[in-house]
Amino acid sequence: MSENERKFLEVRGLKKSFGSGETRQDVLRGLDFTVGKGEFCVLLGPSGSGKSTLLNILGGIDGADDGEIYINGDKLAEMDEKSLTRYRRKHLGYVFQMYNLIPNLNVKENIETGAYLSDAPLDIDELLKTLGLYEHRHKLPNQLSGGQQQRVSIGRAIVKNPDILLCDEPTGALDYTTSKEILRLIGEVNARYGNTIIMVTHNEAIRHMADHVIKLRDGKIRHDDINTEKITADELEW
Amino acid sequence: MMRENELSFGKRPKNPLNKRVWRDIARDWKRYLMIFLMLVVTIGFISGMYVANNSMMHSLDGGVEKFNRESGHFELSAKADAGMIAAIESGETADVVAVFRERAYEEAEKEVEDAVRKAVEEKVREQVKEEVISGATKAVEAQFDAAAELGLEVSAEERKAAIDAAIDEAMSGYFEQAVSSALESAYLSADYTSALDEAMTKAREEIDRKIDEEYAELTERYDLDKETAPVPVKLCELFYKDVEEKPPSDAGYKGTVRVYSERSRFDLYDILDGRAPENENEIMIDRMHADNVGIKVGDSLRVARTDFTVVGLAAFVDYTTLYENNTDTMFDALTFNVAMTTDEGYKRISGAEHINYAFIYDNKPADVYAEKELADNFLKVLITQTAVSEKKTEIKDYVPAYANHAITFAPNDMGSDESMGGVLLYILVIVLAFIFAVTANAALEKEASVIGTLRASGYTKGELVRYYMSAPVIVVTLAAIVGNVLGYTLMKYVVISMYYNSYSLPTYETLWTPDAFVNTTVIPVILMIVINLVVIIRTLRLSPLQFLRHDLKKTRRKKAVRLPKWKFFARFRMRVFIQNIPNYIMMFVGISFVMILLSMAVGMPETLKYYQNSVSDMMFAEDQVILISNEDDDGNTITTETEGAERFSVYSLMHRTDNFDEEVSVYGIDRESAYIALDDAYYENTAGTGHPELYVSKAFAEKYGINAGDLISLSEKYENREYTFSVYGIYDYSAGIAAFMSLDRFNKVFDKDDGYFSGYMSDTPITDIDEKYIAKEITSEDMLKLTKQLDHSMGAYMTYFQYVCVIVAAIIMYLLTKIIIEKNERSISMVKILGYNNKEIALLYMVTTAAVVFITEFAALYIGYAVMGIVWKIILMKLGGWFPFVIPAQGFVKEYLLVFAAYLIISIADFIRIKRIPKVLALKNAE
Repeated sequence: MSENERKFLEVRGLKKSFGSGETRQDVLRGLDFTVGKGEFCVLLGPSGSGKSTLLNILGGIDGADDGEIYINGDKLAEMDEKSLTRYRRKHLGYVFQMYNLIPNLNVKENIETGAYLSDAPLDIDELLKTLGLYEHRHKLPNQLSGGQQQRVSIGRAIVKNPDILLCDEPTGALDYTTSKEILRLIGEVNARYGNTIIMVTHNEAIRHMADHVIKLRDGKIRHDDINTEKITADELEW
Repeated sequence: MMRENELSFGKRPKNPLNKRVWRDIARDWKRYLMIFLMLVVTIGFISGMYVANNSMMHSLDGGVEKFNRESGHFELSAKADAGMIAAIESGETADVVAVFRERAYEEAEKEVEDAVRKAVEEKVREQVKEEVISGATKAVEAQFDAAAELGLEVSAEERKAAIDAAIDEAMSGYFEQAVSSALESAYLSADYTSALDEAMTKAREEIDRKIDEEYAELTERYDLDKETAPVPVKLCELFYKDVEEKPPSDAGYKGTVRVYSERSRFDLYDILDGRAPENENEIMIDRMHADNVGIKVGDSLRVARTDFTVVGLAAFVDYTTLYENNTDTMFDALTFNVAMTTDEGYKRISGAEHINYAFIYDNKPADVYAEKELADNFLKVLITQTAVSEKKTEIKDYVPAYANHAITFAPNDMGSDESMGGVLLYILVIVLAFIFAVTANAALEKEASVIGTLRASGYTKGELVRYYMSAPVIVVTLAAIVGNVLGYTLMKYVVISMYYNSYSLPTYETLWTPDAFVNTTVIPVILMIVINLVVIIRTLRLSPLQFLRHDLKKTRRKKAVRLPKWKFFARFRMRVFIQNIPNYIMMFVGISFVMILLSMAVGMPETLKYYQNSVSDMMFAEDQVILISNEDDDGNTITTETEGAERFSVYSLMHRTDNFDEEVSVYGIDRESAYIALDDAYYENTAGTGHPELYVSKAFAEKYGINAGDLISLSEKYENREYTFSVYGIYDYSAGIAAFMSLDRFNKVFDKDDGYFSGYMSDTPITDIDEKYIAKEITSEDMLKLTKQLDHSMGAYMTYFQYVCVIVAAIIMYLLTKIIIEKNERSISMVKILGYNNKEIALLYMVTTAAVVFITEFAALYIGYAVMGIVWKIILMKLGGWFPFVIPAQGFVKEYLLVFAAYLIISIADFIRIKRIPKVLALKNAE
């Protein structure tokens, strides 16, 4: 991996607080880390540790108070709103704990909402097969289980083949088995499409399937480890 | 690591949100259908109105040329001779002063010469007589002297007798001859010429002094000293007779018909049914009046005492609206008719002939201002030319076309209908646009997570704005298209038949009307787009994160509003109210809009009814007879034996404003009058050198906002003369625009002799005065013309309009309550899970809306009444007369109940909707 690829995502001195005066709360207190291209990075931490805030800042939907973020050499802070939208459109995919699917579009059409944003989207039928949704492609979201809906939302995020896939507690609302299915899918996506994945979770067990684990507490990085003994999602237990 | 070469890529799909637009519309089809239908009907009706108006206006405008419509007409007291007609047609203002001076000089010249000649002759005769006498005396005395010398003595008596005889002989013999020869030389003498000149100069000086004195006033009165360009015109005799008409079939009906002889040059007509009369037994009458009375082609009609066969129904170009007199408050197509016969047929009709002339300007005025100036100048031509005519001729009436209600009322009414329709359409579109916007906002709130996700994924604001704008734009555009098609087809006929029901209009051709397209299609679509755009953009400006967090309030909710310690249900309802304030504001606007319309629909017939019922109470005397002159043909004062009849004086003046010149009847009232009682203090207050004081009628005061103590200016109709009066008080009389003053003051102001009066008034019908002396009779029937015609033109539509208002109210409330319930679907589902039954839930969620409707209605009632009061004033400002807009208590109750009934229907729908919300909804994932 080249130096550029190794520092595909670089965060320096990132600070963020909410409120002012007495109610001021420092959420991120100066973070420094890098994520390599194609890495599966997990942001771990308890509630309120700032991991979701960090993810939102990386995704360009929230701003930092201080510090710099470089993605593939581009400085995020220098982008205006329009450039940020373009950046998200071209380079980012988002998966949330809630699937946020459009209720009156079917599975395929929901994925098309992602494909529309890319000039060279992945082949949707093939992706549907990869996601195990091909036979469900004409169904509306309310005809699907939670896991299936989350798969659709992952499909919608990766169909544009983004450089970075940001996942905010993607298994937070799912049961054990379904969670493992989704994690397997994310692992496969990472392996198959080579996207850099940054996943926020409070589930410690997931760290074992990641390449890179960053652990936050009270707005600070407590651990920044490279996992050399990656296991598959199927092997995870919690 | 990257294995992109193994990946297969597809094509970028079309925006899947586009597919969603149609599904959104299908999913919410009831709401969209309501809005669609409401817009279609309104746009259809308004566009039909524009198309009908434009086509009809085009036909009317075309008629000016096509049917050679007059530029105006005037009535003279006697037929004009060829010289006068030529003088009027020349359009030159006669130099009244010069003509009068010339005439006075001519008269004076003869008089002076006669006088001088007479004086000279007397003098000459005296001289000649003296000479003759002295000559004769001398001759006789010479003879006697010679005789004396011869010794013949003559007595003194003999001498005197001889002298007398000689004088007699001389006088009878050559005196006259001597006188004429002496006169001959006297007339040739310089003395005579200079005497004559001197006398003439003196006489002229006297004439000049008198004329200057008298005619300075004349000049001012007619504005004669101002140079005006000639107004050349062509004149055409349009004599007519106003007589009684009676269809033999209808025993009870009696009307007036204005019959003209054959019109071949000016003011032609459009035949809508049948043909023009061809022989002396045939008549063609106005189509509108025929429709109202039920006369058809082929029917017979008694005109005065002569029977005719109706062979044609027509629209006369100078009578698109049937105004009998231009000063009438309202047209009257019910009892007034216009007709045309052949010249022979015209001769068969007995009745007084009105010497009416129509004129057309040689140079057409460019606009209405130029037309007004031309009309003013032509009036001057008319006044001066009649003043200088050899025969004594008076102008009895002068009506330029621009001020002729019979010509202008229909197009003006159509114009104001059109602008009022346009305003209503815009208000409705704005109300609907806001409903759309509130709906869109509710949808944005509901879909906040999806929007947040899409924005986070890289969808631009523009893409989302376009998407959320699509449904409203599609619905409005479709409604505009369908509405326009309806406008050009079905609705056009509805509007046209409304106009044909009021006016005597010619045939027309449907025209493509760009105005209709712009006003009913372009502007509503733009309004809809702009309002939705503003609301949607405002919300979509929020960051993706705010959407993801459902944090859509512009300003962060600081704290929940603290509520007093009410019972749980009351507090719950208050929360529902606070949550839905924007919806309730829209509901308030919508209901107020409906109430304004409803005030018109309920108030107008009520106002007419009220006026009709109370007009006879309002009149100070049931019958007023205005005489042509107060002396009969034999010079005796006209009297009446009618019980309670008393003399009064009346004079018509004009109250002029920028928009409308209104006729004011100024009454002179006897102090002892049993009908009009003015304050004693008023009669006694004779002091004051300022403006004469008078009372104004309540109607006059209300219409023009006149108060006691104000100064008002009233002017002569056809003269440049203004009177300023000081308003002493308001007299409680609502049936007419009038002013009252004491007889003394009246006579002084209008320069009348003591004992002058213009007519009689009485509560008992006055029947013993010969009709030929009566200029005008005013009964309560005349006062009711306005209300009867308004009732006929609009009455029937008002009932339908009431139903339309209820439907509009129901739709607006349906759309808004739907939003409120949808917004709370999850909470309703949750309270269902908690164990509340449907009735309790309805009490929680529906009572709030019911209370809002209940209170809103009261406010809206007031707003509707106030706005209609203003609209009514604007309408009547363009008409003569005045009566205030009245809604009796039961009218308000009716309005209130109609809207509340609409709400009750909707609340049933709402209750069903609440009942259908499934319990599982609350447990489902938010999306």
